[in-house]
Amino acid sequence: MSELLVIIQIAGRRCALGAHDVKSVIELGSITPVPRTPDFVAGITALRSQSLTVIDCRSALGFDTAQWPTDDRAAVVACGGHSYALMVDGIEDITTAAGVPGQIPGGFGPEWSRIATGMIETMTGPALLIDLAALIAGPESPRGDIEVAA
Amino acid sequence: MDDLLADFIAETREMLEASGGEIVAWEADPDDRTRIDAIFRFVHTVKGNCGFFDFPRLARLSHAAEDALADCRAGRREPDQRLVTAVLAIIDRIAQMIDAIEAGEDFPEGGDEALIDAVNGPGEATADAAPGAADAGADPLLHAPASALLERADDFISPAVRRADAAGQRTIRLPVELLDRVMSGVSDMVLARNDLAHRLRQAGNQPTIDGPFERLTAILSDVRDAITRMRMQRIETLLSVLPRLVRDLSADLGKQVMVDCDGGDVELDREMIETIRDPLTHLIRNAIDHGIEPPSARLAGGKREIGLIAIAARQSGNTIGIVISDDGRGLDEERIAAKAIANGLISAAERAAMSRDKILNLIFEPGLSTAETVSNVSGRGVGLDVVRQNLEKVGGSIKVSSQPGEGTHFTMQIPLTLSIIAGLTVEVGGQRFAIPQGYVEEIVQATAGALDFTRMGETALVTFRGNRIPCLMLDEVLGLEHPDITARDFTLVLLRLASGDLFALAVDHIHSHGDLVVKPLAPAVMKSGLYAGSTLLDDGQPVLLLDVTNIAAHHDLVSDGRARVLQPPEEDTAAATAAAARAMLFTDFAGRRSAVRLELVQRIETTPTAAIDRSGARARVVIDGLILPLVGLPDAPLDRDKLRLLRLSDGTCELLHAVREVKDAILLTEALTPVPEDPLVEALTLVDGEPVALIDAHELFARHGKPPEAAPGMRPRCTLPDSEWARTILAPLVISAGYEVVPAGMARPGDLEIMFEDMFEVAEALGRPPAGPVIRLRDHPDDSQGGSATIYRYDREALFAALTAVRHARVAGGPRA
Repeated sequence: MSELLVIIQIAGRRCALGAHDVKSVIELGSITPVPRTPDFVAGITALRSQSLTVIDCRSALGFDTAQWPTDDRAAVVACGGHSYALMVDGIEDITTAAGVPGQIPGGFGPEWSRIATGMIETMTGPALLIDLAALIAGPESPRGDIEVAA
Repeated sequence: MDDLLADFIAETREMLEASGGEIVAWEADPDDRTRIDAIFRFVHTVKGNCGFFDFPRLARLSHAAEDALADCRAGRREPDQRLVTAVLAIIDRIAQMIDAIEAGEDFPEGGDEALIDAVNGPGEATADAAPGAADAGADPLLHAPASALLERADDFISPAVRRADAAGQRTIRLPVELLDRVMSGVSDMVLARNDLAHRLRQAGNQPTIDGPFERLTAILSDVRDAITRMRMQRIETLLSVLPRLVRDLSADLGKQVMVDCDGGDVELDREMIETIRDPLTHLIRNAIDHGIEPPSARLAGGKREIGLIAIAARQSGNTIGIVISDDGRGLDEERIAAKAIANGLISAAERAAMSRDKILNLIFEPGLSTAETVSNVSGRGVGLDVVRQNLEKVGGSIKVSSQPGEGTHFTMQIPLTLSIIAGLTVEVGGQRFAIPQGYVEEIVQATAGALDFTRMGETALVTFRGNRIPCLMLDEVLGLEHPDITARDFTLVLLRLASGDLFALAVDHIHSHGDLVVKPLAPAVMKSGLYAGSTLLDDGQPVLLLDVTNIAAHHDLVSDGRARVLQPPEEDTAAATAAAARAMLFTDFAGRRSAVRLELVQRIETTPTAAIDRSGARARVVIDGLILPLVGLPDAPLDRDKLRLLRLSDGTCELLHAVREVKDAILLTEALTPVPEDPLVEALTLVDGEPVALIDAHELFARHGKPPEAAPGMRPRCTLPDSEWARTILAPLVISAGYEVVPAGMARPGDLEIMFEDMFEVAEALGRPPAGPVIRLRDHPDDSQGGSATIYRYDREALFAALTAVRHARVAGGPRA
């Protein structure tokens, strides 16, 4: 198991993303806010001719944004055919996984369990492996489609 | 028909190419069953297709080959070299004929019989002839004519011509993914070009770069058009199969249904057509199966025996709307509700609170099929929930509306993602948004009063061209901070929806319009239902494209057969406006609620305090480069940076009235009580139970009005003595009296001339007195000459009087040429 991982900090915790999911790391320029979207959608920003949806990972987990300052660098990831820029506390390093993701007794806590695949040992210490799709789906899973459609 | 023929040719060619390998393999091993099957399928298809097109020769040839191969497949005949050769000769012949058909030429007569005999005749002899003998005998016999035929064919149609024709029509199949990549590459090129254009504009004119850049732009737009067309297909291809489908289905179900397709020329992305093929078919199946009643029931219900299904496609902006309507029995609200409750989809309490529309749209929820029996037509486990899912996958939507006993309308909205559309960029709350140009009917810029802006409950209405139109505040729609609407100038974008409904969207500014490359948005953003995509502006800033249809739907502005626009009752409004004058209500700096008749108000101006001059006895303000009188200022110095002013006009004079706050346009319905003690107030009246002073416009303009300056060309002209004194001291006085000072050389006959007495005398002595009016000046206050015709040069009063007298004389004398 020598999968490459990108280590990031979200809300003060050490997390890992699969390196092949991370397309690039960009300096976040101006973000155009998107009114009437959930808080975790910070807005959209342009990367060359592409537009990226900026996800505030702190709010996507359901944490208070005031507590954790974010870096001006963001990780660009692709999920479900769309590109996102993940606003995180910081992007640390690229490292190699030293095992398979596993669970820990007691779990990770409700917010983290939702988005975590498991704990993974890396060359630079343990990190929480993130399930991208779950992270991007935001704190509240979609429900109430009836209202939207009607 | 031509399309079909081209399809036939392309298909046959494709099969020929594909079966080329099979034929070779078959030749090597005549007993290989799978090869026989493949070739059989080919000739069978050709035979079937030619029957359709009336190509009897092709049909006979393929039929002969098919028969022979069928015998082999059935084991009635052993395939041998002779048969293989004969079949191959036929296939070659088919290929030549296809070329001839494509080129539109006649294929030379004759030769077919020999080939057909070769397949049939010698085959019957195979039983007695030894394989070796057959080989020896048949080969020269059959191959010679076949190759001779080939040569003959080539003689008639020269190879060069044939190749050229074939190349002109040649088509290839490409994976859509590749097209997508090219398409998005071109989109990116457009963006890069826009960015470059922006930078070039900033850098200024550079002829050496501008030329090639123009060429690049032209080429790019050509390529873009081609690429767009490459992906587009008329929706006709989808609709043309429907009459057949409807016919078959209705025959199966014992119903009589007619289908009416409209809008076949709407073009849609090829892939999008594939995506909606199944949903559309499904909806039509449903309509025939569940919607349209059997003929007897229809007759009993007073309808025509034959049911009607209408399919209409419309493009508006970046969406295509497809409406599928039937005139059947309509949806059963109660049954849908009961089923939804039974399935736990909604509770009984929720049901009670739901409108009919909402209940009907439950049919798109999973696990809700109201069909009591599962027929072989619909109800095969593919429900409307799948239809909706498929449409939502591509960012589309579906809705249903239905009247019991009258029919059902399904409305599909399909976006044209990854396309380039013309759009309008607007600004609201400091943020920019794009609106597809297709929706924009008109842009109106006016004051709240001029548009008769009113709020009915929470809904705003404006009156435009005699129609009351619902008005959405974009900042409210988006939940942005917004100032009081009545206190600002409107910019309204009137939008016409696919359904024909008109509504107004109030924005702060209009920015620009141009081609926008629309990119899809992430699901989390799409969920808001407000946006259709995003796009990048020239400067690389991303903006959101508003989903106009959805926004309108959220605010219940989309009607289904409802009256299109609310017509204001003509006589009522006429009577009301006749009875009640309208006025602009405001608070002045003394804190008094005042009003001024709306007819006088030109505009509401906002001006920086710096533009106000209070040095003179009367305050003045600079607006649009004009110095105009300003009234209503407080005595105390102004404590704000900006000032709101009402620009009033009596038709010729303009003045501005400073206000603390503009309230609203009101109707003066209450009685007007004169206030004789205050000449500036015409009357007091009540508005919402509070007193309001109506400003006396006559008095206001009499005191402060200032006619706008005549344009320079219209002013009387005057020449002055050529001296420093005249230029610096006399000229300003003459100008303030309303003259235009011109150099002596430019004077026209009839212009006023001001000259010193001594100069006048010289001119007179020379016999060349000035032709026009003259004002003569003297240097000494005392009239030494004794005449009254001269004016002392510092006698301001007399000079003014003389200037005014000359001007009036001129006006009285009528305009000069």
